[in-house]
Amino acid sequence: MEEFLQKALDAAVAGGADYADVRGVLGATESLSVNGPSVESLERSTSEGFGVRVLVDGAWGYAASSHLNDREATRIAQQAVEVGRASATRIDQPVELVPEPVHTDKWQTKIERDPITVPLEEKVELLASATAQMQNVSGVRVARGTMDLLRYTQLFLSSEGSSIEQTIWHTGAGIEATAVSDGEVQLRSYPGSFRGHFAASGYELIEEMDLPGNAERTAEEAVALLTAEECPTTETTLVIDGHQVMLQVHESVGHPTELDRVLGMEAAFAGTSFVGLDDRDQLRYGSDKVNITADATIPGGLGSFGYDDEGVEAQKVFLIENGILVGFQSSRETAAAAGADRSNGTMRAEGWENFPLIRMTNINLLPGEGSLDDLIADVDDGIFMTTNKSWSIDDKRKNFQFGCEVGYRIKNGRLTTMLKNPRYTGITPVFWGSCDAVAGPDEWKVWGTPNCGKGQPGQTMRVGHGTSPARFRNVSIGVDQ
Amino acid sequence: MNVPISETAAREAAGYVLDLPGADGVEVVVAGSTIGMTRYALSQIIQNTVKNEVRAYVRVAVGDRAAAASTNQLDREHMVAAANSALEAAGSSPPDDDFPGLPDPANVGRAQGVFRWDDATASRSAAARAEAIGRLLDITGDDNVAGIYETSAHSYSVLSSTGIDCHDAFTRCVTTCLVDNGEATGWAEGSSHDVELVDVEAIAQRSAHKANSGRGAVDAEPGTYEVVLEPSASAMLLDFLSYTGMGAKSVIEGESFLSTRTGMKVAAEGVTVADDVYDELSVGLGFDLEGVPKKRVAVIDDGKATGPVTDLRTARKLGVELTGHGSGSAEFGPYAANVTLAAGDKSLDELIGDVDEGFLVTRFHYVNVLDRPTAYLTGMTRDGIFRICGGAVAEPVHNFRFAQSALDALAAVEGIGRDRVAFAPDYGSFGSTVAPPLRIGEFKFASRTSH
Repeated sequence: MEEFLQKALDAAVAGGADYADVRGVLGATESLSVNGPSVESLERSTSEGFGVRVLVDGAWGYAASSHLNDREATRIAQQAVEVGRASATRIDQPVELVPEPVHTDKWQTKIERDPITVPLEEKVELLASATAQMQNVSGVRVARGTMDLLRYTQLFLSSEGSSIEQTIWHTGAGIEATAVSDGEVQLRSYPGSFRGHFAASGYELIEEMDLPGNAERTAEEAVALLTAEECPTTETTLVIDGHQVMLQVHESVGHPTELDRVLGMEAAFAGTSFVGLDDRDQLRYGSDKVNITADATIPGGLGSFGYDDEGVEAQKVFLIENGILVGFQSSRETAAAAGADRSNGTMRAEGWENFPLIRMTNINLLPGEGSLDDLIADVDDGIFMTTNKSWSIDDKRKNFQFGCEVGYRIKNGRLTTMLKNPRYTGITPVFWGSCDAVAGPDEWKVWGTPNCGKGQPGQTMRVGHGTSPARFRNVSIGVDQ
Repeated sequence: MNVPISETAAREAAGYVLDLPGADGVEVVVAGSTIGMTRYALSQIIQNTVKNEVRAYVRVAVGDRAAAASTNQLDREHMVAAANSALEAAGSSPPDDDFPGLPDPANVGRAQGVFRWDDATASRSAAARAEAIGRLLDITGDDNVAGIYETSAHSYSVLSSTGIDCHDAFTRCVTTCLVDNGEATGWAEGSSHDVELVDVEAIAQRSAHKANSGRGAVDAEPGTYEVVLEPSASAMLLDFLSYTGMGAKSVIEGESFLSTRTGMKVAAEGVTVADDVYDELSVGLGFDLEGVPKKRVAVIDDGKATGPVTDLRTARKLGVELTGHGSGSAEFGPYAANVTLAAGDKSLDELIGDVDEGFLVTRFHYVNVLDRPTAYLTGMTRDGIFRICGGAVAEPVHNFRFAQSALDALAAVEGIGRDRVAFAPDYGSFGSTVAPPLRIGEFKFASRTSH
């Protein structure tokens, strides 16, 4: 692969590229869904290909192909240069890149058991054991278990001399029970919604989940929701679990601090941001309990790697420190546009076929102190919500609404009545400003979001969020907010 | 017609595995695409991608079990490896009582391609895309402008050991344009299989006009109002109605409105929502990913819910007609990818003229599902929302968050526009949505934002 990619790189430079990088990718995935006693779908896929990114006369060009032969290496490199030349006819500001040291390295996710090579029978048996228990609970219409596995090897070469090989494993699994009655549908999932919990890990992650051990409770909660009290419309104290904090961080901190959004480069599709460059070190984004980092160096995160997809070394940077906006997620191009000395390494592409974009690495709300029980104990009257179910936020990432699978009233420091259809809404800096507690390290967990969409053509990225439960005061709650 | 993967190439790839030893049946879907996507923002080209993709999906049946594997290499070695991987997976699966086998053309019919194809669109160069963006930027002048200009070509073939052998191809040109004049944003877009039918100058002018009209927006009170939805906003409701409830899998699992309301009136008279790849504005395939001929299905016919779109498995399970809407995923189930809403008889101005007090919505942003059986949705307005007073567009207002059942919205339709617009999907290449503007008697805005 390296020799082949070097040919493409040489052809790009020979064709007139001022800068070029190439990525060759070998990917393998396995996706398994068990519905009740049956395997609903079982799909394996492999993908091989390469992409050539060039800067020509200050403009980007990108071309990609799945045909791995020397002739195609040259053709695609020339096509990338041709595309870059076309781009250059309509630019006002030539692209500049901040410097990055040349790296020659190999990096891989630390795993104990390669999930792709675990016998299929073992995987099916595990999920079927859990779905059987869910199906035994009266009132459950659908009992589904899923497993999604990925192994991804990439070789990156740049005209500056970097040569980086990385192999990444992402593993995820979960169960979901759907209960139906009189046209009403309620669901509960474990350990998280939307196909479960994901991490940069081997099969050991799934073994630790104990899906069968949580199946019956999950199903019973789904059925109980059918007859639960509707979540009231009110303004009160809200405690959310780590899974929901994950989505809250993702949508209202992760995306607004992407520098391409801040600069207006994603305006037409994903939108922009309510924060600007001048807000750095000025804007109070949240209370002083709110400390948030972009950290590609932690073990287990879907946003963990050795180097990003333009060869920048993985880093940990603060985005929000004691409630103040202090940083953005950047690329070599946007760092230069923002006057920074170095990119903080967040450029990632879905596969070989796509142009890298600024994508969240692991955007983490740093732990505070105490437990979830402690957060709840300090609430006289409020609502606790757990497990994300829906999300929506405006094009500047300010007005949001989230829904969770289940809620509970909090009365005098204790969880009481179950509530269905719990939702809350808010304005980003007001909401984070109302955060008066974040639970401590014992409650902190790195969750995975495997379905973050951005860019055109659309790319789906896997990102991580380390979170623990958190508490917010005076939040608008209710189905009609 | 220079399709990404020719019929010959698809047959050759499938031929390596259709007689796989140990399999009772083999089905191969070969998909190919060439996509040229030029993105512009800050009034200049910022990203520019050409990508050539191919993928073969091999589904192998062993008795009453099936599994699939895919590869993006069409040579014999990779195809056989994929087929054997699927064979091994199928052999490791427990029996599936609901597996209907692979479709047999003697029973399901032989499919014909629609071929919404244009050679000029397929062969559009990066230079030509840049030139089109240049024409657009010349019109929008000093405003800050962003969007895409995409030209792409796609081919699909389905072949099987039961005799399925069908091929289709389509092209697509998509232009979007967001104009930001510093005070307000405007939006316009166009999409067609034929590059000549996408008028970039008109799109630029509409977007700039919308942004200009949006200057000086004021706060308005959230509440339930009469609205006129422009086609982009109408199409978003249709997309989510399809996603939440038009497929038979969601009916079987009790999550679709059709689970409890088939045969009932669910929308206003004159509202016909169909999956119809044969509509003159649709872009898609004449068969599903099992190779079954695709039928036009009016899921809501003149206001009445009729039934879902199906694939072989769900049609058999429900005992209803096979409509040819297999998505290629048994987990996801059949999908209505070419949703159309039948045109009415009014112009957009006439729809607005019939509103005494309400709002005109350009488009929605980040819509998501709150409740599937009722197609209860939330999302934001963006890029232009205007008060309507006395039948005329009045002042712009800041954006609202809506919380609204798409079904209830269709039940409250009081006027349907005659000019329909085709939209390409945001993700993936598959399908299209064709929608007119709508006047809706009651539509709920739950909160607002400051821009």
